[in-house]
Amino acid sequence: MSKPFFTAYCLVIYAFLLAPILVVVVASFNAGAFLTFPPQGFSFRWYVVFFNNEVFMRAIRTSLWIAAITMVISGVIGTMAAMFYVQYSGRLKETVRIAMLAPLLLPEVLTAIALLFFVYSVGIGTQTMVGMIVGHVLITLPFVFINVSASMESYDPSWSMAAQSLGAGRFTRFRRIMLPLIKPGVIGGCLFAFIISFDIFTISFMLKNVGTSTLPIQLFDYLRTNFTPEAAAVSTCSIVLTLAVVVISEKVLGLRIHRF
Amino acid sequence: MNAVPAKKGFGPLLLIAPAAILLGVFLVLPYLNIVVMSFRIPGQGTPYAPGFTFANYGKFFADGFYIGQVVNTLWIGFVTTFACLVLGYPVAWQLARGTSAFRALGYGLVLSPLLVGIVIRSYGWTILLGNNGIINRTLTSWGIVDGPLPLMYNALGIVIALVHVFLPFMILPIMSAIQGIDPSLEAAARSLGASRITAFRRITLPLSLPGIQAGCILVFVLSLSAYVTPSLIGGMRVKTMAVTVVDALIDTFQWPFGSALALMLSVTGAIVVVLFGRLTRMKWKA
Repeated sequence: MSKPFFTAYCLVIYAFLLAPILVVVVASFNAGAFLTFPPQGFSFRWYVVFFNNEVFMRAIRTSLWIAAITMVISGVIGTMAAMFYVQYSGRLKETVRIAMLAPLLLPEVLTAIALLFFVYSVGIGTQTMVGMIVGHVLITLPFVFINVSASMESYDPSWSMAAQSLGAGRFTRFRRIMLPLIKPGVIGGCLFAFIISFDIFTISFMLKNVGTSTLPIQLFDYLRTNFTPEAAAVSTCSIVLTLAVVVISEKVLGLRIHRF
Repeated sequence: MNAVPAKKGFGPLLLIAPAAILLGVFLVLPYLNIVVMSFRIPGQGTPYAPGFTFANYGKFFADGFYIGQVVNTLWIGFVTTFACLVLGYPVAWQLARGTSAFRALGYGLVLSPLLVGIVIRSYGWTILLGNNGIINRTLTSWGIVDGPLPLMYNALGIVIALVHVFLPFMILPIMSAIQGIDPSLEAAARSLGASRITAFRRITLPLSLPGIQAGCILVFVLSLSAYVTPSLIGGMRVKTMAVTVVDALIDTFQWPFGSALALMLSVTGAIVVVLFGRLTRMKWKA
């Protein structure tokens, strides 16, 4: 293959990857009542409709709440597990790693079904958000774990021992030595958990209770029966929100988020 | 707090305890429970009745409809995986070896779709592929086709959208595999007179097989269990197994039968993955 041809081929693939996302963003500014291309003029009309639609606004609030709660729980549990993995797991290192990544390796739809049956069998049910949040924590846990354990690779246990010899207790050692070093990994992992949780569909779909729904579920329901550009406006806001989190973490906080 | 360095006690175990309990109670137990559920007797008014039976599996094998659907789902998975491999390999190679300034940008472009929710990406494809969608509108207005091409509500549309959704999962493992190959191996082959294509075929391609294998397994498994994309693109007309399973559970509360269906799909998928692993390992040695 000649070089220009090869470059062109790759550019086509990049275009393919971006196309459906760009299309949604462009469609959201359509002035017409239907998704027509080229758009019938530029307008914010569908954003106004969206912001006045209480159903979607409630769904966004629910999604943000769940993502925040998930982020905190997943952040704490994942960080603790990563500390164990790097410092103490010894011969079990590979086992611990595979177990921690398991929720990522198992099909989400199967995990969702399994959790649905389980929360019913043990009486948790889906009247509360507990089942859904547990599902979100499961799915996001590997991302916190990957980020925190990656940030601990350069950690030298002798620093902690030095602090200990100077009389620092276990908690002080964690707060003054360990935490400052792994902070970028923890924040990066937490932000990534937030983004992932905000976008989770299948788990939420199976474990939602009647009446409450997250943004992806509301959007999915809407798309099954409606074709107005309002859905595009909702999607664009969701994309912008995710992008903002990534840009803030990578540009402002200077973090490198490990995605895999 | 004591200052004896050797003493570890239960401290370290407390670190892993929350994660272990979470995974044990909410992942291992539910997966075991789903197996038990598939042998339960369907109930009237309740999701299941007391007692156990093989009837759910009997129903699966007796009805050609469900077996046909598993075959369809596997077929969609194969085609998606193959398309991802063909489309993704050159991009992975360019990301690993390319010298252009586009590399960082390309990496960002490959990762960015992963940050957009699956519902939104599938929605984008409905705008593109629909009968009144961008592609059909453009083709008709240019006079290339007379009527709209059937791009949505069929297996073709599902495959196109699935390839888009899972392409990054093919590109990233292959990219890291190629990054791990010493470029001087290829240079050596070239200096011994091998053409660019021969060097690629004899050196780079075989050495990147582990990446190809990982990417293929990942994409195949993900496409088998995909729900949102087949459901939005396939609509009511084309249903993959995952869609049938979820609908059986959500709409009609057939928990025992739904579990049996889900397990049959998982087992078939696992068998294919194991066979594929065997096959590629044999190729490796040859």
